[in-house]
Amino acid sequence: MIDLSVHLAGLKLANPTMTCSGTCGYAFEYGDFMDLSQLGAFVTKSVTREERPGNPPARIVETRGGMLNAIGLANVGLKRFLDEKVPQLEKMPCPIVVNVAGHSYDDYVETVAAMNPIACVGSVELNVSCPNVKDGLTFGTNPGRLKELVHEVKKVLPAKPLMVKLSPNVDDVAVTARAAIEGGADVLTLVNTFTAMSIDIHRRRPRLANVTGGLSGPAIKPIAIHMVSRVYRQVAKAAGVPIVGMGGVQTWQDAAEFILAGASAVAIGTALFVDPAAPNKICEGLGEWVSKQGAEKLSDLVGTVQMPGD
Amino acid sequence: MNQRRGQFTGVVCANIPLCREHFKLVMEVRGFPPTKAGQFVQLLCRSTRDLDYVERELEWPSPQRPEVENVDLIAPTALLRRPFSLAGATTDGETATIEVIHRVVGVGTDWLVQLRTGDEVGILGPLGNTFSHPVENQIAILVGGGVGIPPMLYLASELVGKKVIAFCGATTRDLLSLTVTADARTPGIDSIEPLYNIQEFAAHGIPAVISTDDGSYGFRGFVTQSLQEYLDRFRIRGEMAVIYTCGPEVMMKRVADLARARQIPCQVAVERAMACGMGTCQSCCIRVKKPDASAVPLPGQDWCYRLACTDGPVFAGEELLW
Repeated sequence: MIDLSVHLAGLKLANPTMTCSGTCGYAFEYGDFMDLSQLGAFVTKSVTREERPGNPPARIVETRGGMLNAIGLANVGLKRFLDEKVPQLEKMPCPIVVNVAGHSYDDYVETVAAMNPIACVGSVELNVSCPNVKDGLTFGTNPGRLKELVHEVKKVLPAKPLMVKLSPNVDDVAVTARAAIEGGADVLTLVNTFTAMSIDIHRRRPRLANVTGGLSGPAIKPIAIHMVSRVYRQVAKAAGVPIVGMGGVQTWQDAAEFILAGASAVAIGTALFVDPAAPNKICEGLGEWVSKQGAEKLSDLVGTVQMPGD
Repeated sequence: MNQRRGQFTGVVCANIPLCREHFKLVMEVRGFPPTKAGQFVQLLCRSTRDLDYVERELEWPSPQRPEVENVDLIAPTALLRRPFSLAGATTDGETATIEVIHRVVGVGTDWLVQLRTGDEVGILGPLGNTFSHPVENQIAILVGGGVGIPPMLYLASELVGKKVIAFCGATTRDLLSLTVTADARTPGIDSIEPLYNIQEFAAHGIPAVISTDDGSYGFRGFVTQSLQEYLDRFRIRGEMAVIYTCGPEVMMKRVADLARARQIPCQVAVERAMACGMGTCQSCCIRVKKPDASAVPLPGQDWCYRLACTDGPVFAGEELLW
């Protein structure tokens, strides 16, 4: 029997498949389409302190091999999340990670603090890298502010591991990764979407109402692989901080690539829209791959890509 | 009979051109749950083999195999599924036969056109809400424009024996995805007389008024103009009728306005770009009025977004702010 289990700084996952925040709703939206009990962990849509309506449409556009979105963190806000969504999450058959976003230190601290006592919440993922809200990027791209934010947030989440989701829209993701770890991040998740744009050449206008959006899907996978590999080798491995890899994961082959690059677990986002059962299939394929590699545990293969000079 | 929505594989029974750029795709789907007019499906507009993730040997005749990998990005494919409203559905035991009408507008629908009898199609559904049927003695007025006609066909099939009139419009006769009966009287360019000249509606005993922008068939002008003339001529107001509509947004807005001005209830099936169809991606939002500004969501604001996929696609005309 192949062991696919993953330990993310105290959060135990039966297998390495997770959902990407914002692609899977708050709880049971995919209940009819996938086996939620077979998920390694479920990551909720971002929650902000105040309810947000989100951006005007058009909010998405498909590009070659990718999807560009500018949803604008449309969400029910902290109060309704606690009232309406947590009772649902309590019934979920897998570990839960709540994604939290904000505009200010106070926003983040208040929302994260509210998650600390909730028993069914296994971990909090800090969204410091949404490219579609006006001041949302500054935390994710400024190492000093990021370190301070993570430090403040960590203080109000003593009971659970803290995940920090890194932006790829920086000069060197290893620098922000180091800042997050120095601030107290227990797990790094990368990458969020890439800031991008698409133009309607007939109307000569941007195709998204927000002008720019975040690019996801298979088009970004090679860049995400590079960033996971870089963060693993430069920072995370030495610090003993596990990585959740994401960015264009559609198949078990993609997931295996992230594992080899240094990810302990993988998250599936855009692919869920096409095939909500993708995490279940990925899990199956990974098991066979691990055994073909002659390993007994998936975790033995994390970061084992052989580089020239290794 | 399966009651649960999910992912299914349909087998193509027919993929028939109806008019320029429009095709009717008929699929048999084992275990597909019962559906109603207004609902839609998300079609995978590429091979279902894409979702198998099985490592395959390349099929290559020569003993020396080429060293190629990642061939999938050579040809553009539709990454996301595409939503299509159902144009009709029937069930026979465990097997449902469902119909969609698609117009070729991009890489996804271009792939659908290539489908032949026996080919497989990935289907996710059924999704969305349904139209509410008219009450006793209420006249149902079905208003469809262009690619908005399909859900009106499905609704027509549910309203057999009721008082129903269909108003359908297209830019020109070539783009009218309906079948004119061979021996039908040709309506004049200023005629709003409902005729049994459209096979799809006549089959259910429903008369139709057809408009084309250029007058190449039926009433010359927009479907909203023939509708307005009809409502005025027969003094249709209030609860004596209910209007159902689907089509281009500018048309649906006008239909909703005509209905509101006459206090006629109106049900609008909206169209939106969509990724998931299941309420997770939040991309298919549409602005609606809140009856009570203090209610959730967003207390203190008199409007909010609703999702076309799970809150709709059918909305009451009077609540839509577009």
